Amino acid sequence: MNPKHSFPIKRLKIAGQPEHRIEAAPAPGEVAAMPERIPLLKARLRVDTGDRVKIGTPLYEDKENTDIVFASPAGGQVVDIRYGPRRVIREIVIQTEKAEEHEDFGAPPGAELSRTTRPRLVQILLNAGMWPLFRDIVYRSVADPAETPAAIWVAMDNLDPFHPPPEIYLSTPADLRQFKTGLHALNILCEHTHVCKSAKSADLDAEIENRVTHRVRGAYPAEDPGVVHFHNKTTTSENRGWFIRGQDVVLLGEFLETGSFPTRRIAAVSGADIESRYVSTRIGAPLHTLISGVIEPDKYRWVTGGLFRGYSGSIKSYLGLYETGLFLITESNKRELFGFMRPGTNKPTCSRTFLSIFNPKPLSMDADMHGAKRACVNCGNCTRVCPVNILPQFTYKCIRAGEIEEALSHGLLDCVECGLCSYVCPSKIELCHTFQETRHAYFRERI
Amino acid sequence: MGRIETTLRKIFDIPRKHFEPGGRLEKLAPLFEAIEDVVFFPAEATRHRPLVRDSLDLKRFMSMVLVALIPPLLFGIYNTGYHTRLASGMSTNLISTAGTGLMIVLPVIIVSYAVGLFWELVFAAVRKHSISEGFLVTGLLFPLTLPPTIPLWQVAVGITFGVVIGKEVFGGTGRNIFNPALTARAFIFFAYPAQMSGDAVWVAVRQNAAGAADAVTGATPLAVTTLQAPFNHIQEMLASKGYTLASLAIGNYPGTIGGTSAICAAIGALILIAAGIASYRIILGCIAGLLATGFLLNLLATPQAMPWFSVNPVYHLAAGGFAFGAAYMATDPVTAPGTDRAKWIYGFLIGALTVLIRVVNPAFPEGVMLAILFMNMFAPLLEYTEIRLRLKKRIPHV
Ligand code: SF4
Ligand code: SF4
Repeated sequence: MNPKHSFPIKRLKIAGQPEHRIEAAPAPGEVAAMPERIPLLKARLRVDTGDRVKIGTPLYEDKENTDIVFASPAGGQVVDIRYGPRRVIREIVIQTEKAEEHEDFGAPPGAELSRTTRPRLVQILLNAGMWPLFRDIVYRSVADPAETPAAIWVAMDNLDPFHPPPEIYLSTPADLRQFKTGLHALNILCEHTHVCKSAKSADLDAEIENRVTHRVRGAYPAEDPGVVHFHNKTTTSENRGWFIRGQDVVLLGEFLETGSFPTRRIAAVSGADIESRYVSTRIGAPLHTLISGVIEPDKYRWVTGGLFRGYSGSIKSYLGLYETGLFLITESNKRELFGFMRPGTNKPTCSRTFLSIFNPKPLSMDADMHGAKRACVNCGNCTRVCPVNILPQFTYKCIRAGEIEEALSHGLLDCVECGLCSYVCPSKIELCHTFQETRHAYFRERI
Repeated sequence: MGRIETTLRKIFDIPRKHFEPGGRLEKLAPLFEAIEDVVFFPAEATRHRPLVRDSLDLKRFMSMVLVALIPPLLFGIYNTGYHTRLASGMSTNLISTAGTGLMIVLPVIIVSYAVGLFWELVFAAVRKHSISEGFLVTGLLFPLTLPPTIPLWQVAVGITFGVVIGKEVFGGTGRNIFNPALTARAFIFFAYPAQMSGDAVWVAVRQNAAGAADAVTGATPLAVTTLQAPFNHIQEMLASKGYTLASLAIGNYPGTIGGTSAICAAIGALILIAAGIASYRIILGCIAGLLATGFLLNLLATPQAMPWFSVNPVYHLAAGGFAFGAAYMATDPVTAPGTDRAKWIYGFLIGALTVLIRVVNPAFPEGVMLAILFMNMFAPLLEYTEIRLRLKKRIPHV
């Protein structure tokens, strides 16, 4: 049941583990939706600057499937729409009103949930902009509502440094109840609902513990739903699946109970120079509201969504729909004298070439390549860490040679984009990025 | 430290403009960059996922190999000095022995590095890429496989062949099929057999010393076979020439500069394995292949067979450059297979071939060299086969 591999990444002890408490972040005056952060989405706006929106009003939709809409995480006025390169919609900024209004989606199924049919439930979730919480396990994009997945995987933990563990986002009785309601809904959508929980995270109430189907041992990315799915599938037909994060199951439950689009979020906030803790905030919150204390904001990369899978931002960025972690790391940008010859007692590494292997203390990470790009030397480090048994060095060569079919037979579609291969590569080859681009290109070609 | 750092910074910053595009020395930019990167570690921010990267880079990776080469290097310097002074009838105290050794070995290493760097630079400038750290290893590995008597021009020719034909014609580091240091060594071996065939002892003789012998006679341990050894008595015969198992393992006999001591190579191998740089699978595979084949030949040994059939396989382990080759050359990741099972087979076959070459054809006493080059050729096939087998186990999409 568990991935058999123990990833060498466990040797990595990263400083910044949040303290075990939840603090309320101040209510933000503006929040934003970030279509750019939804993998593989071609977004089309449904609103314009100046429009008034309620919580739950569709802000944008999927151009390729207009049934999939993305709800506004706030009520107020759309004050700005910012674009990135090639006119990709980066941020839709909404100034929040004092008394935010909720979009009315009709009476919630609530206690009637058991009598709701699958097509009806899909319709309700699509209407309310709840659908994007379901994601495709192969492409990690928004799930296709027309598809019947072989299974839905609930990922209770996210060990990408750092994210709130279940005991944090399920700390109140209401959370627990909503989580169970959410699980109930998942069962209607698909009879095979697998709940994966890290063996390390604290025990919850017995009813939820009984629902856990997969206990995962090991460090990131052993808990990743794609990884667990990979190690459990036995046939080609099981390849198709969806996944949803534990915290999003709570949102699902809240929506089904209240009928309005839920906006709350618990996020882990970490960094060497700030107070590392969990904060309760809302979807789309500006990152500066999550920080307490005075810091020099431009000194940092504001990384949301984990060090391995996350996005780089600045103090001006926001918390994306799927992001529940903020990590402030520095770019070292100082060329160290005789850097490669140093004993390296505090250099974080998975290798055994620095004395830091004898240092039991967690070490702080920075956004530096720690080396220059070189040709692949066939060292096999990438193969050793890949959680889904891909041979990244060879798959990479296939892609570079234009042999996409060959790369697919190597398991390119099993790649969970965890980033470990790029992380360990001494030649600093952008393996994961290349795989991601190729997977995306393949996805677009396929449809 | 701060002062030194500022001064060094200036040393690089002042001439920098000449190396930048459009500058007078634009073509030498890879050299400038390579030297600067050694002094000041490059600091480049991550742009793609994952936003953090491991501290290990190729410089560190390759310098671990250099660290592991220190024991054979130091021993080689001492051993070279010792036998030179002995043959020249000079005193053999530690300091002067090391001094003599250094005088002989250092020029060989300097020529190897200088000529090697020159070619790296030429190709880096033409191909417009940075200099790969691999040459740090090649530049030291090659001299250690040479006899101290080697003329320096042959060192230059050899490393040229190794870098240009062994590596760059294939497209540079990472694309080469043969280990460049071994290619260089093999080229010298076949091109200048007079100096290299290795059945005479390699001792650099100093003519200026009082009472110097002007020629040295004797045979290397592996060439003792050409003498007629009675069946089952090869060990005694080796011992009578001064080659006991212990002396073979320690390596205090005349031979290549760095390749005589199995113990030093073993220390190096341990360093490489502990640091996770070399594959223990290849090294253990080599040893297993060597012992198994040696043992098998023992079973086949008859009075009519060649004398080395009957030698205790452990002698094969200690003799010649096997340990050196297994530790530093068979484990070169670029020319070895990249998959785990293929590594075992690759190592095993290197060990087996080494024994076969030694036993069957004593004209090639350094069997390990040819064995590794031969297996280099098959590494892609072994790798390919294992990949195919692994891919069969995957559950296909579509
Ligand atoms: S190929 Fe790389 S990014 Fe993909 S799953 Fe393997 S280690 Fe992770
Ligand atoms: S880790 Fe990098 S250098 Fe090593 S085999 Fe993989 S791609 Fe090649």
